[in-house]
Amino acid sequence: MRGSILAVAVQLAGLVMAPLLPGLIQTIKARLQGRRGTSPLQPYRELRRLWHKRSVAPLDTTFMYRMAPSVSAAALVGALLVVPIGASTIGWFGSDMLVLVGLLALARFATAAAAWDPGGGFSLMGAGRDLMFSVFTEPLLLLALVLVAAGARSTDLIRMVAAASDAHVASLPAHWCAALAFGLVVLVETGRQPIDNPDTHLELTMVHEGPLLEYAGRDLAMLQWTSAARHWLVLMLAAGLFVPLPQTAPWNILALAAAVATLCAFIGVIESSLAKMRILRVPALLGAGVATCMIGLASWIAQGAT
Amino acid sequence: MTTQAWLLVAGAAVAAAGIVVSAVPRGLRSGLALQAFGVALIGVAGGLVVVGRAGVGSEFGNGLGPTVGIDPLSGFFIAAIAIVSTPALIYAGGYLSRSHNAPAIAAISGVFVLALIGVVIARDAVTFLMMWELMSVAPAVAILLASRSAETSRAVLVYLGSTHLAGVGVWLSILTLAHLGALTDPHALAAQPTLVRSLLAVAALVGFGTKAGLMPLHSWLPRAHPAAPAHVSAVMSGMMIKVALYGLVRMLFFWLAPLPDWVAPVLLGAAALSCVAGVLYALMQHELKRLLAFHSVENVGIIALGLAAALLAAAAGQRPLAALAFAAAMLHTLNHALFKSVLFLCAGSFQKQVGKLDLDHLGGLLRTMPLTGTAFLAGSMAIAGVPPFNGFVSEWLTLQALVQLALHGAPTDTAMGALAAAVLAATAALAVFCFVKVVGLVLLGAHRQKAVASSHEVPVSMTGPVIFLAGLCLGIGVVPGVVLGPIGHMSPYGPLPASLVGVTLAAPGSGAFAPLALAAVIAVCTAGLQLARRQAGTTAPSPMWICGQVPDSRLAWTSAGFTKSLRLVLAVVLRPRRTVSIELDGALVHSVVHESEVPHLFDEVLFRPALGRVLAASRILRRTQSGSLRAYLTYLLVTLAVVLAVVRVGLS
Repeated sequence: MRGSILAVAVQLAGLVMAPLLPGLIQTIKARLQGRRGTSPLQPYRELRRLWHKRSVAPLDTTFMYRMAPSVSAAALVGALLVVPIGASTIGWFGSDMLVLVGLLALARFATAAAAWDPGGGFSLMGAGRDLMFSVFTEPLLLLALVLVAAGARSTDLIRMVAAASDAHVASLPAHWCAALAFGLVVLVETGRQPIDNPDTHLELTMVHEGPLLEYAGRDLAMLQWTSAARHWLVLMLAAGLFVPLPQTAPWNILALAAAVATLCAFIGVIESSLAKMRILRVPALLGAGVATCMIGLASWIAQGAT
Repeated sequence: MTTQAWLLVAGAAVAAAGIVVSAVPRGLRSGLALQAFGVALIGVAGGLVVVGRAGVGSEFGNGLGPTVGIDPLSGFFIAAIAIVSTPALIYAGGYLSRSHNAPAIAAISGVFVLALIGVVIARDAVTFLMMWELMSVAPAVAILLASRSAETSRAVLVYLGSTHLAGVGVWLSILTLAHLGALTDPHALAAQPTLVRSLLAVAALVGFGTKAGLMPLHSWLPRAHPAAPAHVSAVMSGMMIKVALYGLVRMLFFWLAPLPDWVAPVLLGAAALSCVAGVLYALMQHELKRLLAFHSVENVGIIALGLAAALLAAAAGQRPLAALAFAAAMLHTLNHALFKSVLFLCAGSFQKQVGKLDLDHLGGLLRTMPLTGTAFLAGSMAIAGVPPFNGFVSEWLTLQALVQLALHGAPTDTAMGALAAAVLAATAALAVFCFVKVVGLVLLGAHRQKAVASSHEVPVSMTGPVIFLAGLCLGIGVVPGVVLGPIGHMSPYGPLPASLVGVTLAAPGSGAFAPLALAAVIAVCTAGLQLARRQAGTTAPSPMWICGQVPDSRLAWTSAGFTKSLRLVLAVVLRPRRTVSIELDGALVHSVVHESEVPHLFDEVLFRPALGRVLAASRILRRTQSGSLRAYLTYLLVTLAVVLAVVRVGLS
């Protein structure tokens, strides 16, 4: 364990609190659209409902299909234990940013491969598109993280969070470029508009919902938790790496909570104001993110040279 | 003689006896088992040298007499060859039974493995080159023995052609080094002008790079590997291209000193191209073995990224970082050898059961062949670079080396490191995409062909080896420190820090990574969730829902369909071709024929025009060989006249 006990407790609580974030975004969105909307606790109610239902195993499916929800959920548990909260982590298997990339890939592999087992068209369309996005998201995520790591001179997330709380990073163009790029990563990983529309279920345009179509009961509950955990993961990282937070114990947690809530509101605004893009345009958007990172890299090199 | 030397000699003798036994009638299985045992003994000798850090036999010499010896670097490659070849040879016992020309293929497989070992233990130029040629020719013979179709013959022709072109580079560089005395004396080249060293580096990069399959010199690889018998493919893809990398490592890290400045960036560029283009073309393939062959190009690229990072870090004076990058490259060498041989051997088992390996006509093999299928799944996850398998560990280390180079290097290093890391990330994502496709089309879903439905598990002699190799993939993925420690012994940059060889891989400047703890957490969580899932129970098995459609095998998704979105996005680069011809019978559509392909642009743009020129030139030259006696007499006369004139005038 590294850092304060309170922060580590929050990190562990994240496993339970993760579904709050999609619920919060949903509530904010509803208010922005002039509806009353559901309570932020709605995802918990859905999880409870699903947890009391039996799973479905279609004919001709293998253990891949039955294991995939558990494996993706386990990968996300691992990922949440890597992401530090206020520069503290339980640190069972380090706090390296590159491990995160691997764990997200494991979750993606499990769900996408399991889509082949029932072999339905919608599932595979969604899986193929998700994997196509990942081809552009992974380098984007890596470049954004490298730009932040450049400030900390380390790929250790704890040091990166600590370095980001230093006010001087706000004067670095590289940091702003990384923040922009990471914003795109947040939208892709959480499956939000303009990349994907989380409100559709059963449409030709769906991406992340597609591979989940055949699942039911506890399997579906695990997959929904996985999606919520992905929200928690990227939003905690975004708040930790790009919002200068205080360093001392109780205040950093409160500031972090405020920052994450603000980011949720921000996503709600984006979702309410932007339409979904054509799928084949998304790589161009992500490519623009990569170009932003290149500019950031160039500025970093230029500053280092002088 | 030391234990290692005894083991080496005994192993070679046993393997040679095995080659003889396997060639006689009814001796196939026992012969291959003997070969495997002999190779295993040699592997133990290599492993002992790595662990004990003490070489056996001669040092490198510039002379012509045949000498052999093992130092830690050679020992590592010998051990890797043995770890891959021993299971592959045992597998061949089951695979070759009742197949065409089995005894001859079995004998040539043994010769091939011994030739690989011969290259690695050679300690003089002549032995090295002899073994190199034997290593190149043996698989060609095996391919031709297994099949004599026109397509195979063409693949072998291309293979032999590029091997010989590569051979020029290898011969030139090795013989020049021996001539200059650089095989023994690391300072011998310092006195030479930069031009000489640059030319030597070009020869080495082209020669060894072609054999290793580095882009853009890889054209032979996707043709030759799929044509070979499964176990030969496994050793070719697993180890032969690695032996070429061994040559490259010797050249760039030990002999060619001081290295010209341009070499490391050029190697990095070629490596990055190999990674991303290799996996991209793999994704567009629809035949399993050809797809796997393209993945070899990708993985050689990843290894070369590590090597280039090591050279760049060493040039910047960062020896610990160079040692890390070198270790990453060597670990990935071993890892790729393991998972690629799992995949090729499993592909062989599938082929044996089903016939053709067209991805769109397999499906559901995990249900009919559970053991082979599970091993194939493990190999796929390892090559896709997902934890907790070994591919992830070496890719993590390579990424770490590149990112650290970016964080701590000079401006050019920063740019190169960051870009190469981004390319590697894209490669990893593409590899996941590709193996999701492969796993889905081969192992999962409904059977797409009758032959698949009637397939059944292969015998133990074929499942045992792949399970062993798949187990190693998982084992190294969970405790990589066991292998990383010995790898540090052969690094030209000194041993690895103790923090990197333990249970936790605490690479300097990283946030540390504990693969064992990660694997444990994933396993415990998965097991717990599976238990919870069981408790709730499942409904009775029902047909799948797919949104209320009736399942129809004609609507099954294909390899091309799954990758279509990416093919459309990257159409500018890939230039896919698509022809739709609709045959109308009056106003009725009679038939629709749809053809699409993703051409291999390296062949079409680079090699075909070059080959055309060469063939045109040789057509002109052919006119001089008329076959008429008078013409040859005239050539003789002209030659004589020229020689006499030269003697009369004098050359200088």
